[in-house]
Amino acid sequence: MCRLAIAGFLVVFSVSGCSAMKGSDAGAARETHPSLPPAPPSDTAPDREPVPAMAPVAAAPRPSTLPVSSAPSSNPAKPKPPTVARAAPAARPRVAQPKSPKPSVPPPQPTPPPASSPATSSTSAASTPPRSLPTLNLHDLEQRLRETRAIGVFAKLSLKNQVDDLLSAFRELYRVPNKRPPAELRQRYDLLLLKVLSLLQDSDPPLATAIASSKEAIWSILADPDKFSKI
Amino acid sequence: MALRISALMLTTTLLLSGAALADDSAVGKDLKATIALQGMPCDQVVTAKQNGDSDYTAACKDGNRYHVFVNAQGRVIVQKL
Repeated sequence: MCRLAIAGFLVVFSVSGCSAMKGSDAGAARETHPSLPPAPPSDTAPDREPVPAMAPVAAAPRPSTLPVSSAPSSNPAKPKPPTVARAAPAARPRVAQPKSPKPSVPPPQPTPPPASSPATSSTSAASTPPRSLPTLNLHDLEQRLRETRAIGVFAKLSLKNQVDDLLSAFRELYRVPNKRPPAELRQRYDLLLLKVLSLLQDSDPPLATAIASSKEAIWSILADPDKFSKI
Repeated sequence: MALRISALMLTTTLLLSGAALADDSAVGKDLKATIALQGMPCDQVVTAKQNGDSDYTAACKDGNRYHVFVNAQGRVIVQKL
């Protein structure tokens, strides 16, 4: 009798788990037919569900037609630690975060009075350079893009193709000495980064922030033939 | 005994179907992102038929259908059907 109760509990638990996983996807079954009117919540639902890294490629071929939807699931992307914590200590100096409430470094004063500390903090904040977010180097960027679950396997491979195409364009450009990258390559670079950011901004915001803050640093590597040759 | 077995089978079925639905949703999102990365319109993938390994036919809610696959050179190809 006790085992029967346990089995009943398992059934209830699994049903509640499945309903939580697909809770807002009431019209998933209807979406297999595009002619049917769509469910209103799924029209405006953002894509926040992380994608398993190797799901489509590793799965066995299934000839049946599968209903899919963009309803959010119950397993959101795990927030990753900031890159500065994973980077090598000697790789780059740590820079102060702008959202830290503590002032970075007060100006040297013999005996600073407590009442003047807000004024000194505001002046020090105004004097700090605008580049205060941590930047990723290329290896960190590649590693974190490989590890993120916010982008599926197909999308990752497509992005890799486009990155390789851009790098090939730079290599072709730098075959001629004393060449500078034209504006067309900068536009391609900006567009590619926008694509990456749009894929990451909902499901992996820390990585999106890190990439956005590293945009100019990465471009400085690409636009310099000497730095580019060391990649 | 039969009741216990049926309860366990029901539990297993429910768990496996939940995992399969989550996997299908992930595939749809991946295909949608891939189609968008190639600059083609697709608001939402409603059905995804797997033709083989890394080979899908996706139907979007707006009526567009695409063949998404990885060719022999390792490039993701999106063909409008």
